[in-house]
Amino acid sequence: MSASPLLRFDQVSIHLGGREILSPTSFEVARGEFVCIIGPSGCGKTTLLRAAAGFLQPSGGAALRHGKPITGPSREVAFVFQDYGRALLPWRTVAGNISLALEAAGVPAQERPDRIAKVLDTVGLSAHAAKFPVQLSGGMQQRVQIARCLAQEPELMMMDEPFGALDAMTRESLQDEVSRLVQSTGLTVLFVTHDLEEAIYLSDRVIALRANPTPDKPSLAAMVEVKIPRPRDQLLTKEHPEFLRLRRELYGFLGHH
Amino acid sequence: MSTASADGYRGRAHTESVLVLVLLLGLWWLASHQQWVSKVFLPTPEATLESLTQGLSSGELAGFTLDTVVRMLLGWLLASAIGVALGALIGASSTARIWIAPTLEFLRPLPASAVMPLAISLFGLSSGMVLSVVAFGAMWPVLLATVHGLAAVHVRLREVATALQLSRTAFVFKIGLPNAMPDILSGMRLSMTVSLIVAVVGEMIASQSGLGQAILLAARSFRASELFAGIMLLGSIGFASNALLAVLEKKLLKWQRP
Amino acid sequence: MGLPHLLRPWVFPAVLLGLLEVAARWMVPGSDALAPPSQTVLAFGRALTAQGDDSVLQATAFTLTSAALGLLLGAALGLGLGIVLGLSRRAAAMGFLSIEVLRPVPSVALIPLAMLVFGFGYRMEVSVVAFATFWPLLILTQAAVRQVEPQLLEVARALGLSPWARTTQIVLPAMVPRLFIALRLGVSIALVVAVTVEIAANPSGMGYAMMIAQQSLAPDLMLAWLFWIGVVGYVINLATLRLQRAVAQRMGEINMEQTP
Repeated sequence: MSASPLLRFDQVSIHLGGREILSPTSFEVARGEFVCIIGPSGCGKTTLLRAAAGFLQPSGGAALRHGKPITGPSREVAFVFQDYGRALLPWRTVAGNISLALEAAGVPAQERPDRIAKVLDTVGLSAHAAKFPVQLSGGMQQRVQIARCLAQEPELMMMDEPFGALDAMTRESLQDEVSRLVQSTGLTVLFVTHDLEEAIYLSDRVIALRANPTPDKPSLAAMVEVKIPRPRDQLLTKEHPEFLRLRRELYGFLGHH
Repeated sequence: MSTASADGYRGRAHTESVLVLVLLLGLWWLASHQQWVSKVFLPTPEATLESLTQGLSSGELAGFTLDTVVRMLLGWLLASAIGVALGALIGASSTARIWIAPTLEFLRPLPASAVMPLAISLFGLSSGMVLSVVAFGAMWPVLLATVHGLAAVHVRLREVATALQLSRTAFVFKIGLPNAMPDILSGMRLSMTVSLIVAVVGEMIASQSGLGQAILLAARSFRASELFAGIMLLGSIGFASNALLAVLEKKLLKWQRP
Repeated sequence: MGLPHLLRPWVFPAVLLGLLEVAARWMVPGSDALAPPSQTVLAFGRALTAQGDDSVLQATAFTLTSAALGLLLGAALGLGLGIVLGLSRRAAAMGFLSIEVLRPVPSVALIPLAMLVFGFGYRMEVSVVAFATFWPLLILTQAAVRQVEPQLLEVARALGLSPWARTTQIVLPAMVPRLFIALRLGVSIALVVAVTVEIAANPSGMGYAMMIAQQSLAPDLMLAWLFWIGVVGYVINLATLRLQRAVAQRMGEINMEQTP
């Protein structure tokens, strides 16, 4: 890596409830990279994401951001949860939900409307600013959550299976939207998913984790670069030979036999 | 069902409902006139109506009604404010909740009027005494609802608050209390019922001006029609306050069903 | 703090009682309103061993009996009418206005009427408790009947069961868990109303004993009664809660989101 990495995991291991969820794992994430983490259930991918976001402390090793240990959540790190319904405030409108991030950051009241409008425009929800979450579809609610995260103006965005609860069509359009967003803002993204195709489609690099790590089969199973040119396309990219090759290579790591 | 027949069905249901009420009124008329029950206990509907209109126009019953309503409302407002404030203080800190919750559970089934003797010892037989008991008694549903609503904030929202680095105060005001709002509002409705009850009991015991004292005196002097008129007014207060609160609740909870 | 779990609920009340002891003994001794808890315990002990009107047992028995009888009456009527209104939408629609007119009358408003008709004693209190418990049980029973799975009723109709058999074999058993929730509410209302009637008018029972203690300027006895009323209410409510939960477990959980 030429520049110093934004995020670095140095032999990070995590024990929860007496079990080793993650064996000592090391990797780096550079600024502007889109990294996907895949693996079967129980492999610790969500746990790893939460440790990177500062929600929990590693049991061993060090998790570093800008070379400094991660002690807790920070406004620089945004987190997109899978259950969008529970992550939004039902009593606030779309604009109000986004405002929460600005209020938390101490942004003065006069500046907020403009910033909210800008971020709504980015995710294409400008027409729905005055609606309540209960009036929105699942995909739209997830976009509100993403918009709130963008309003934080983070340098790092964590996404925990954000499209897992959505139907295939909505998932695909949101994948493209997030891709576009990330390319235009230069955000660094750590994205957890169990969907292999989604992982390859979105990322610059895929990290595959194993469940039930043992000393000769540690958590980190594979780390591969995704050298498919951008911008990517739902139809064409998935027929690209490199896409198919990676898919074959990583298929086994998801617990398939 | 087509709209026309649905309307017809609803119209018929309304008419039948009115008819049943009229039937019951008729039964009352019959029972009182035929002396199935002594006139001492059951006045005729006309006599009740006359007591009602006379009492209201002379200003006497109207004055009593106002006294009771003011007592009830004042106590309710105090109770709600204190209940939310204390509830927020207790509910915001999980440590406070753990230590105090069992005591709250013990106090929950206590009748609100039970502290009246203590209040009489402290404040004497006065309007202030009644108000203090009303406020104290009506405070509990709101307090308990606030504590519960704050405790019930979903873990995801707590994590969002942590991720956004919200201060503890900001969490209570921006997430905790709004989350508790449905519980608090239904607690306030219950509070209103308690307020009315304790206000009436207080008036009876402490001889304070109001409908409670009025109906007690009417019973003691065997003035059944005045007694019934007073009961009707109390029923109306209960009905109106509940209906108004229901409207308010719907407005404030618009986000649940916009 | 490392305290065993069992002791923890008692810490806060112990602190409050300690403060009361200090305040009543040294700050306002001889007060008509406050008495140190130590004295209160003694006063209660005396009342426990007393006979006749001063007896704790007698007063408690009176309150509990009136509450129970009133609940029995109110629940029987409320259940009966509730089942009818729950099964027949037409009946429910017909009764709607009358219920909405009569329901908001606060039960305490009927105390002077009950006093007029029955004088003092059991009947007056039982009638007021019956009125107070009738309405919630009516409403809750009606809702419980409505919430019986429509499929169950379809099955009953398909099997050709008579309305009576339908009610007793299908509707009633399906309703039982929810009925016990209603019963729990009824028990707490019955107790509260009974004590309130005694405080307001009826010269018998725990509420009255407390009022007499206050009037005789015996704050220790008054506070003892207050505490005892709290304990009795708490224990009975807890017992009903356990019963309701046991029933819910045995009879299966059908949409029990409301069970606190």
